[in-house]
Amino acid sequence: MWHIIFILLFTYAKCDDNYNERRRELVERELRSALGGNTTLSDKENVVNNCLMRHKFDELDYAFDHPNEFNFSHHFFSYKNRIPTSKVYKIIKSMPKGALLHIHDMAIMGADYLLNITYQEHLYVCFDKPVRFLFSSNVPNVTCGVQWQLMSEARAAVDNVTEFDAQLRKLFTLVCDDPDKAYPSIKETWTRFMQYFNSAHGLLTYRPNWEQYFYDALTFFKNDNVGYVEVRSILPNLYELDGTEYDTLITAKAYRKIIRRFMKDHPDFIGAKFIYAPSRKVNRDVLAQYLVSARRIKKEMPELFAGFDLVGQEDAGNPLIEFVPQLLEAEDLNFFFHAGETNWFGTLTDENLVDAILLGSKRIGHGYALAKHPVLMQEVMAKDIGVEVNVLSNAVLSLVRDVRNHPLNIFLSLNLPVVLSSDDPGAWGADPLSDDFYVAFVGVASKLSDLKLLKTLALNSIKYSAIEPENKAEALQKFTRQWNDFVDNFDCSSY
Amino acid sequence: MNTLAAYTTVCLLITLDARLIPDNYSKERRALLDEETFTAVGGKLHLNEDETIVNDILMKWKMKELNPSYTNPQHFNFSKHYFSYKNDIENSKVYQIIRRMPKGAVLHVHSSLMLHPDVLVKLTYEKHLYACFADDDLRFYFSEATPDRPCLSKWALVSDLRKSSGDPVAFDSQLKNYFTLYKEDGEDYNFVDINTVWQRFNKVYYTIKSLIAYRPAREKYWTETLKQFYKDNVMYIEVRTGLQDLYELDGSRHDKKYLVEVYKNVTAKFIKKHPDFIGVKLIVTKHRALSIEHVLEALNLTRRLKAEMPDMIAGFDLVGQEDIGRPLTDFLPILSEAKDEINFYLHAGETAWLGTSADENLVDAILLGSKRIGHGYALTKHPSLMSAVMKKDIALEVNVISNVVLSLVHDVRNHPLASYIALGLPVVLSSDDPGAWSAEPVSHDFFVAFMGVASKHADLRLLKQLALNSITYSALEDESKTRLFEVFNKRWDTFVRDVISDECLLDTSVS
Repeated sequence: MWHIIFILLFTYAKCDDNYNERRRELVERELRSALGGNTTLSDKENVVNNCLMRHKFDELDYAFDHPNEFNFSHHFFSYKNRIPTSKVYKIIKSMPKGALLHIHDMAIMGADYLLNITYQEHLYVCFDKPVRFLFSSNVPNVTCGVQWQLMSEARAAVDNVTEFDAQLRKLFTLVCDDPDKAYPSIKETWTRFMQYFNSAHGLLTYRPNWEQYFYDALTFFKNDNVGYVEVRSILPNLYELDGTEYDTLITAKAYRKIIRRFMKDHPDFIGAKFIYAPSRKVNRDVLAQYLVSARRIKKEMPELFAGFDLVGQEDAGNPLIEFVPQLLEAEDLNFFFHAGETNWFGTLTDENLVDAILLGSKRIGHGYALAKHPVLMQEVMAKDIGVEVNVLSNAVLSLVRDVRNHPLNIFLSLNLPVVLSSDDPGAWGADPLSDDFYVAFVGVASKLSDLKLLKTLALNSIKYSAIEPENKAEALQKFTRQWNDFVDNFDCSSY
Repeated sequence: MNTLAAYTTVCLLITLDARLIPDNYSKERRALLDEETFTAVGGKLHLNEDETIVNDILMKWKMKELNPSYTNPQHFNFSKHYFSYKNDIENSKVYQIIRRMPKGAVLHVHSSLMLHPDVLVKLTYEKHLYACFADDDLRFYFSEATPDRPCLSKWALVSDLRKSSGDPVAFDSQLKNYFTLYKEDGEDYNFVDINTVWQRFNKVYYTIKSLIAYRPAREKYWTETLKQFYKDNVMYIEVRTGLQDLYELDGSRHDKKYLVEVYKNVTAKFIKKHPDFIGVKLIVTKHRALSIEHVLEALNLTRRLKAEMPDMIAGFDLVGQEDIGRPLTDFLPILSEAKDEINFYLHAGETAWLGTSADENLVDAILLGSKRIGHGYALTKHPSLMSAVMKKDIALEVNVISNVVLSLVHDVRNHPLASYIALGLPVVLSSDDPGAWSAEPVSHDFFVAFMGVASKHADLRLLKQLALNSITYSALEDESKTRLFEVFNKRWDTFVRDVISDECLLDTSVS
């Protein structure tokens, strides 16, 4: 990193003695060297920018004068319902944002969608801890601490269905009224987060639902002006009413089927791929099986298989170094490792960053701890490794409270190859990407960062995607067409 | 062999089958981690044999105290507000070692907020002290007769109030609440916004200021403060002070120079008793919300005092909540004019905002040639300013606990100090206003920075380098600096011997 900084300094030192000029030069240098700083805007884009920045300043000036109300210094849940009224948000929402590169398939759609599924036929529920669901033609032959009962009957037995559903809905979201009380530390947050996955699992892995769910997810992305997605999936085994369970390859094939159908329905969508990302809390033998599956899937559908990753709470799972010998041998796979999603400094989790880099990861998931590692940041820059930043996820999952302290602002100022993403938006009722863009733009980035930053982030997402080099030009073309539509039809008064 | 490397190697052998990791991978990995260690503050420091033993003891306790937090992060103190764990700190063995460790100099403290509230309560036992309780505010005045000064309620002798309260202990503990933001079972400060915290903070400041404006009270205040800092193993202090006018019992007032003389004389008396204490210098301050005329007046005062008592005056600074005060650019003409005569030690970037005027104060502090920067909290977001800081060797005065209490950061693992240490920036640790949050002079700040902010691997080399930095970046003249280094080295050797021979620190099974 220092070599880049020293280039800046050289210019700084050359300036003449005029204080104001030196000052302006220094401030402008910083803006120019930051992510997006070198982009130039067309006249039409400048019109958008003026509108955007007027509203951004209005919002920030108010927040500056009323720090007790400054949304982004509080928990996301306390302000998420107010976001849609923001004009900056509305502009961002309608802006093409390119690709979504870090999202887990089981947490996309949100609580209402999952609640709706509980109204389907043949659904059994086990009110154990955590509550689990299973579609079956008969009473499931699966262990349940209490007893399996038909969801429809359970619902019919209660006096107040609205209240029953409200309670049920809570299973499908981390959102609550008093998050500071409910989530005093990362421990409680992750416990609750894991319960979410347990409850969602049976509802979504029912084969017909899985297919519908993913089609709906793609629609959801498209409506948020996302043009392309790389979904991380544990590729869970899908099942049928009669109890038939399929293996990983069938799940991958379901993905292929839905992506093809969606692309046929929406030819202007750029596309979708998946990253096979099973749990990191396994031993080396299981990892070996994962790698076998990964290769099998890659062979079967190389155009959809983007690569490999390991997931789960990083602090609590195995560090990458545990698997280094095996992963080094799997150089035929592209890696997209989670690394440094932690507040701990100098721990094995933190050092996952070193291994992600040395293993040749194409991108790094989160990289939250990277700001404390100047040498590694230099490596990330030299090797042009995309850093997938998920601000809202880091806030909800207890890494940071006041997002102004999120390391993203350091990455931006250093012009690291950053892409913004949303991780598990469904688990906290966020948009596929707009909420994350909004909070990053207004809450984390410099007050002075403007449309140049937003546009560069969108372009980065295409650049650092796993789209094949020969298809990137076309992807970029599609994005550019959408971007030009947005700019050409922009009307400040409509926001 | 380096103990830390040994540590890591042992851990690797236990958890991993290292034979399967190719040599060149391990080498490359080691090289990256070593480069990081070498770059960081303290990374180039060499520990001698005895220091290595101390380091082993220190790191053994650090691991023992931190390790449970990795599996049970809900118990990790430093992710919570300082107030929720401050009373547990002294049980920590790491803290006990840090407390005994010579820490060199404290370079960023504000004169009225240095002393522990318990001692301030004792000062209220002085004769002739009147108090005016109005709403949630408290003002003091020393006087033979009832003060002839405005008071929203009425002036009463503190001794009378204490007597008539019927419960002097309860009275004193109530009194103490006016001297500190920290209250037993107090409000959860995590949820108080920054402006509100600052309002309360300012209230504490004005109350204490009214108590120590009386010349004899100030002399006692300063004696007690020196005692506490000395006991915390601090050998030299640079104090930021607005130089208020002191008064006598008959109401007569002294000029500002008089307070400088009080500092000088009281400190000299203290040095007589404690000859290895090096002394005190003052950084004259003015509130940044004031007008250009006021600031110019303060600059002229600084100039004059520096000419008359050059050994006492280090330089000049502007203070007060940076977000809502005037930016440095407002004062550019007068600061530029004075910068060749007066050394600046400017507060800059004590803000969570990015791209605002408080944030840009960093630019001006650097361009105005500030010798050190107070806080520089926002610096981590400005790579080119960081390189300027590095190149010009401008020390950053980092005050972690202050930044927590004054609402910049909650979980200290997100404090930018971690980045500064990793980058090897010229950092000194300080405590800002330890009295206002009932902290020890500087040991609490060292402890939280070492355990909560720095890398798990950070060891005695970091602590020693931080102490050495505080001497290097002080405003001391060369001769005094050399003497301070000598005093430090001597005390350091004693510290090393003491820790090695301390049986309580040997056995980790006893805590």
